[in-house]
Amino acid sequence: MKRVFGTGATAAALTILTGAAAALAILGVFGAHGAVPRTGPLSVRAGLENPPGAVVRGDGLFTGRGVRRQLGAAVSGAMIGPLSPVAVESSDGRRVAYNTWQELKTVDNDQSFSQQAIADGTALGTPSLRVHDDTGKDFLLARGAYSAAWRHDGAIAFVKGSDPDFRAGRSYTGQVVVRSDIHGRDAAWTSEPAHYVVYAWAGDRVLFYRVGLGEKLELLVADGPGSIRPLADGSAIAISPDATRVAVLSQDGISVRVLDIATGSELAWLDVTTATPPVAWLAYSGSWVGDHIVAPASSGLAVLHVSSSTLELEQVLSLDHSQFPVGVQEPRFVDAAGNEIAAAADIPPATSSGGVSFLLLCDRIARTCARGEPAPAREWLRLVDTTALAEGGH
Amino acid sequence: MKVRAAIAAAVLAVTLTIPANAFAYRTWFEFARQSNIASTLTMVWQYGTGYYGTQSWRAGSGVSTDACWIGHGWLPTGYYDLWGHWDNYNGAIAGRVFYLQNKPCWNGTWRTELFVHSEETAGQGQYCPTAGDDPYCWEGAYDYYSNGCIKVSRAGYPSDLRLVHDGWHGKSADYRHGYFTINNWLYVRNG
Repeated sequence: MKRVFGTGATAAALTILTGAAAALAILGVFGAHGAVPRTGPLSVRAGLENPPGAVVRGDGLFTGRGVRRQLGAAVSGAMIGPLSPVAVESSDGRRVAYNTWQELKTVDNDQSFSQQAIADGTALGTPSLRVHDDTGKDFLLARGAYSAAWRHDGAIAFVKGSDPDFRAGRSYTGQVVVRSDIHGRDAAWTSEPAHYVVYAWAGDRVLFYRVGLGEKLELLVADGPGSIRPLADGSAIAISPDATRVAVLSQDGISVRVLDIATGSELAWLDVTTATPPVAWLAYSGSWVGDHIVAPASSGLAVLHVSSSTLELEQVLSLDHSQFPVGVQEPRFVDAAGNEIAAAADIPPATSSGGVSFLLLCDRIARTCARGEPAPAREWLRLVDTTALAEGGH
Repeated sequence: MKVRAAIAAAVLAVTLTIPANAFAYRTWFEFARQSNIASTLTMVWQYGTGYYGTQSWRAGSGVSTDACWIGHGWLPTGYYDLWGHWDNYNGAIAGRVFYLQNKPCWNGTWRTELFVHSEETAGQGQYCPTAGDDPYCWEGAYDYYSNGCIKVSRAGYPSDLRLVHDGWHGKSADYRHGYFTINNWLYVRNG
């Protein structure tokens, strides 16, 4: 008579049990949010109920709990696009500074200025910065100003225009100024007026752009008033959480460098077109958590792994081009582990006006995204930037 | 003598009223957005009522097809006035350049500082000091990428840039340089 569970069978069972236990242990360590992130397509479904943080849209500020608060004016990134966040929260979490645009002349995108009888020098609009606080007060921070960044102590940097109005046939030039607190006086940190956009604080330094001919972007750093130095030709993807490093992108979007902000020295470099897997380009305004950086990419999103001296392309997450023809902007890690990413996705219109925006919340391990409700692109549906809560930030 | 003087004055008056180029056609450009590095720039001139001539070149714009991305996306669609033209522009963009009006994209973001140009020096030459991508050197198809401007090739002889430049002057008979405005000089549309 054969034993049903003989020695061999016992050994086999033990092997299976050991294997199962090991598998469970591995699953425990690399569970749903610890598994190895893999490159591949993102599956997007509708049904994002609650965005991962406060959101602005039109003249509303929506807190994470779904409460709508009335803003004093509609948000707009007319002068900054995605170069700088449209709304930024102060480091104490009590205030939100936001960009607005007062249209002085209705401009038809399809027509030239001459077709609309817009003469050289005609005032087209006025950018302004406003602040909304947690008591509901909403007030003008500065007229003829845009691109705000809060320092950890409550000081705020922004660009103040030489002429408050943006005019046809003129470049919008101004100075980077710092206001020690919202009721203080402005101190110019630049000395030459130019077309600037403030990007973020990195500790006590301000990183900002000078926009040149052909929209050439030059990233500059101000160590203090009048102490300006160039950091890189190109744009910024993100500042490290300790505010000592910045990931910068070349003009053509194919090479990423990690720079030491204090010295400008290069710490790491990567050509994304020759990385594995390769991507055609990356874009600016991403996010950095721990040793991971996320950036918009030609195919959707790219996640980089950064060490003290190396930079690697860890994961490429592709979006269905027919669904999201121009990809996403301003992706941001929304968890400490760097597994969840929120981003804005715009859909261009068939004609030159219209278009819609969505918020996406993606799990880069499961490669799934939840999509929020569409909003008209001109309402600037965006997450409120909260990076001022860290050492470096907007 | 009085008759001769009168005839001479009449001839002079007629001469002065004739355009420098008797064949001055209404001339403009169209940019058909097809891809960032393989779109089409077409010069159109009207040589009679209902009669048009065209000449087209490969051209590029932007790195992305999102026209609302400053310094990264291609040009927004619509009509553009020309704000100036230079033969020896000296800056981040150099040489033969055509300066376009500002334009808002579909979400209201203003695109500014935009040109039609190529990669050449202020002296209209090539400066290729490195094995990499030099800003005043046309190395190849990759150079069609831009931060938003329309770019045409500077390769070969005559280069597309020269054909665009000389074609503009030749067809329009407009030889102005510096800041000036020409209404509806460019129309940008989807491919």
